Amino acid sequence: MNFGFNEEQKSLGETVAALLADFPALTGPDPAQARDPAVWRALADLGLFALLVPEAQGGVGLTLVDVALAIEALGAGLAPPIAASTLIATDIIAREGTAAQRETLLPRIATGDVRIALAVMEDGQGYDPAQVRTMMGGNGVTGVKILVPDADIADMILVVARVDDRVGLVMLSRDARGVAIRHHADIDPSSGLCEVTLNGAAVMDGALIGHAGSGDVISRLMDAAAIVYAGMAMGIAARMLDASVDYAKTRVQFGQPIGAFQSIKHRCADMAVAVEAGRSAAYYAFWTAAENDPDRSRAASMAKAYCGEIARDVCNETVQIHGGMGFTWELGLHRFLRRAKVMEHGFGNHVWHYERIMAQTLAARAVVADARAA
Amino acid sequence: MDFSYSPQEEGFRADLRAWLADALPSGWGETVFEPEDEDERAMFRLAWEKKLHAGGWSGINWPVEYGGRGATLVERAIFAEEMARVGAPEGLNIIGHNLAGSTILRHGTEAQKQYFLPRILSSDDVWCQGFSEPNAGSDLASVRTRAERRGDRFIVNGQKIWTSFAQYSQWCFALVRTDPDAPKHKGLSFLLIDMKSPGVSIRPLRQISGECEFNETFFDDVEVPVANIVGDINDGWRIAMTTLAYERGPEDALGRQIRFSQELDKLIGTVAATPRGDAMLIDDPIVRQKLARAVTQVEVMRLNAVRTFSKYLNGDDRGPDASVIKLYWSHAAQNMYEAAMDILGPTAPIAAPDPLSAGGGRFQLSYLQSKAFTIYSGSSEIQRNIIGERMLGLPR
Repeated sequence: MNFGFNEEQKSLGETVAALLADFPALTGPDPAQARDPAVWRALADLGLFALLVPEAQGGVGLTLVDVALAIEALGAGLAPPIAASTLIATDIIAREGTAAQRETLLPRIATGDVRIALAVMEDGQGYDPAQVRTMMGGNGVTGVKILVPDADIADMILVVARVDDRVGLVMLSRDARGVAIRHHADIDPSSGLCEVTLNGAAVMDGALIGHAGSGDVISRLMDAAAIVYAGMAMGIAARMLDASVDYAKTRVQFGQPIGAFQSIKHRCADMAVAVEAGRSAAYYAFWTAAENDPDRSRAASMAKAYCGEIARDVCNETVQIHGGMGFTWELGLHRFLRRAKVMEHGFGNHVWHYERIMAQTLAARAVVADARAA
Repeated sequence: MDFSYSPQEEGFRADLRAWLADALPSGWGETVFEPEDEDERAMFRLAWEKKLHAGGWSGINWPVEYGGRGATLVERAIFAEEMARVGAPEGLNIIGHNLAGSTILRHGTEAQKQYFLPRILSSDDVWCQGFSEPNAGSDLASVRTRAERRGDRFIVNGQKIWTSFAQYSQWCFALVRTDPDAPKHKGLSFLLIDMKSPGVSIRPLRQISGECEFNETFFDDVEVPVANIVGDINDGWRIAMTTLAYERGPEDALGRQIRFSQELDKLIGTVAATPRGDAMLIDDPIVRQKLARAVTQVEVMRLNAVRTFSKYLNGDDRGPDASVIKLYWSHAAQNMYEAAMDILGPTAPIAAPDPLSAGGGRFQLSYLQSKAFTIYSGSSEIQRNIIGERMLGLPR
């Protein structure tokens, strides 16, 4: 038993962080300047998208726990959301895809030639993927998906839809007939949130992912996405903590650095505790996903609920500690606040995930009670 | 990263499970519980601790030469998990095991280790902690209890306060002033004091829970052999910092986490069995949100402790991370008991043995007890100073 990362895993995180730092516009004040297509190519050239691809399909064959710190760095660096979406889709295809799907898609993902957006939510249906109304039938896929990050720059879209009275996953080409994309007006324009209207969207043969399997593909998708988003949220939180501490050391008022005042020092300490607590939840969840541990869904929901709340709190405190500067456009803290808010609502907010934790906890208790009775 | 266990570790677990199945009273946790009376409960816990020792389960990761089992930190964690699984009783000599023992192991002389450590593990010696004084709380380094050296003895005069379990203790480790002229951190020493010494007296202090776990302890010309100093004279602050690192560290947190997770499980069981109107209390979405948040925070307590364990296993030193652990669990546990009182609803104020008390009234006592968590072993304000200054490098 060891709850620590090895040198390769740490080094991967540092490499991704250093690469993103070469694109200062990503975290600059203007979100409109933050969607540089060169970032995707640089991440692909680094080999990021080959990491989760099995060796048989030309990848490195790593697991989610190996890339946890790299994902944290994607969050901290406000990387384009399509990078995270593609990693999540890779995990699903590698684990749940048919042999043909793996052979067709994974080698092209590994080289960075396929960007995949994730389309789950629909208007009026809340966060629950079980409630989707989008249908796949003989005439293709029909329905309206909302809040799809980076759908406009994706090559493919993985859509949650009803298929044969079940909820399944369908892979569509963004250029397919019957696919229309509209940008949302939203709080974080750098997330590229889009509405995707599917009007009998054309589906290729073999587009259903994991449909023949145990029916667990949707929970795997929600868990993997929740965990990746939790990891990115901790990247943002840790970066904001660092910014707060740096500012508290250098900003002088009343003749001393404001960090010497306990009102500021203690807030920073509380943020540091929250960041460590969130990381404990997130890292454990990454491990459960890598091992497909029976505790995976509960751990994923804990991580998403808790890390989302922590990132929100730390961003809020960071703006407050920076005072008037914190509220300026120019300093750019708002970029992290905005991204954290969008991620908080992606793949289930804390309320949805806390309910899921409770359902899992009660189900586990029932199993124990049954075992005792038997 | 790997949360799985090796075959040796699983073997350790199997041995422990088999032993526990025999050692616990039959019906334990279902029809048989700890005594209600405070003194009887203390003696029950002492007897359980001695039973563990007789079975070879005391001092799991202490060296064999001092009576321990010589096991790894991971096995220490497994031990904690298995105790939780069966809801085993707590011990009485927690301060002896976690603080006195750990400090003597790290800084004691060979003679001190040979004498004291096996007696701690067997609970022949129960220990209490003489740190706080009426005018030295958060400002611990300003303790005034004096120890004057006369030949081969120290003569100790002064008063300690909040000395938990002093009434059951054979020994006390105390932070005392040996040089009143030195700067306050530089004139302190760490003494081991026999509680049977002439001149030691205690007076119980009643707590907000109504219990009398802690005391005032008075030292009136108490003679302590010079051989009972840990570390050098006037080097007591450094020794005390080791004690505090253990008091706030992952071993302590893991033991507590188990109690909290058991209490939370009982809370969920109570809520699931409590009718509310035409439905059950567990069906209330607000109740479910509060419970799930508590489930998450109690799980994070465990993960924080295991993560810090792993840092130590991988060779990192004990540092301000202990304050992170303590600050987290203390507030999370308070939140949980506050949530319990909210969730139980209108009958939450009704106490045992009133037949209408919710959950047998058990959560009331824990709620009251939880108020101490953010005060003892360094108040939250002190932990935040430590984290701010030593971990984040903020100016003093």
